[in-house]
Amino acid sequence: MKNKTKVQRSTKKEFSERIREHQGIIHKVTMVYTDGPADREDLFQEICLQLWKSYPRFRGEAKFSTWMYRVALNTAISNVRKNRNKPVHEFLNENVQLIDEIQLDGDQVRLLYRAIAALNRIDKAIILLWLDEKSYDEIASVMGTSISNVSVKLVRIKRRLEALIRDAEKHEL
Amino acid sequence: MLNLNEMNDEKLKAMWSKAEKLAGTSDYKSPAIEQFISGRSNDAASKIRNMIILDIALKTLVLAVLIVDFVLFWGTFHVMVVTVAGAVMLIPLLFYQKKLLNRFTLTAYNGQSTRDKLASMLTYLKTRFFTTLLLVAITYLFGFIAGSLAYFYAAYGYVRQLDGVDVMVFLGFIVIGILFNFLVNRAQVNYQIKHLELCLSDLNENNLALVSENIELQRKQDRSNKILLALVVIVGFVLLVAVFMNV
Repeated sequence: MKNKTKVQRSTKKEFSERIREHQGIIHKVTMVYTDGPADREDLFQEICLQLWKSYPRFRGEAKFSTWMYRVALNTAISNVRKNRNKPVHEFLNENVQLIDEIQLDGDQVRLLYRAIAALNRIDKAIILLWLDEKSYDEIASVMGTSISNVSVKLVRIKRRLEALIRDAEKHEL
Repeated sequence: MLNLNEMNDEKLKAMWSKAEKLAGTSDYKSPAIEQFISGRSNDAASKIRNMIILDIALKTLVLAVLIVDFVLFWGTFHVMVVTVAGAVMLIPLLFYQKKLLNRFTLTAYNGQSTRDKLASMLTYLKTRFFTTLLLVAITYLFGFIAGSLAYFYAAYGYVRQLDGVDVMVFLGFIVIGILFNFLVNRAQVNYQIKHLELCLSDLNENNLALVSENIELQRKQDRSNKILLALVVIVGFVLLVAVFMNV
């Protein structure tokens, strides 16, 4: 019993270290699926917990990062809470200092963010994986759909992003 | 001005990598992450899983109390018959609930593809969730019988005979409890079902039709299980009447 607890503690430590190294993936997911620092932290914790719960079934058939994306996106997509409609730009306004630091791209990045935030949960996942340099094959495997569907969807998502950005620009002018 | 037409994919990706800086994300250290993974989950699947685990624990407790009742009322034939009948019905239900828990653990696993996760959760909520609620209702009923017997033994040393009005009041409370539990859960689950259906059709328009076919098939397979469980609820009510009216 004592040995089992010791093994579990060391596995927990090892796992936490592994998550720490790849935490960027979780941050990216929480960034597009939440609308404020508090929600972001809640979702971050929930994803860590779900990763830990799912870890015993991870057999190394996929890359660790791809598996992490799977768990993180499934957690974020299933994470439904009523009355959480705070627009993403409010959250971005909380990071004004950071926007100023990259002034040149600040507006563009902010618009890109707002556009991604307006997408549905599935499209967010697909564009997120694509922006993170995942191949069509990997995206299809994470989402459980065909490569041709991913390809068609990506064309549509990019068009929708363009329309959303154009719309946002008009409103800002 | 940002125009995706004028930009190539590489530019968009480069912009995204800059966007990461905007989030001002914290850099969590290992001890903080260790603390996160020791916490409690708030997601719907975990709540359902906890409900099943709690039900297994309660069924085990009720079974133990029924065994104690059997010993306490040794010699009172109709009470002994009721406790044995209750135990005989509860034991297979315990195994069935354990089987449902194992299946649900697979359903709730987040490492499967998004489509599989959404489809399996939707199928569970539209089919087996009702069975889970019936199993929980059965625990209430048998829990009431086992608990009341123990109470009567402690208070009077025998099963106090109840008149028709008493039994109707008790049955009324139990039915209201079961219905309330069912309706509250149903309302929460309906919201979840709508969300899952929306996500599935967003992923692929044909998904929902395919999953619906599978749900119909599973509903047909589960029909006999539901009828059996409904029969157990009815038998439970009959036992309740029998024991407290000294039939």
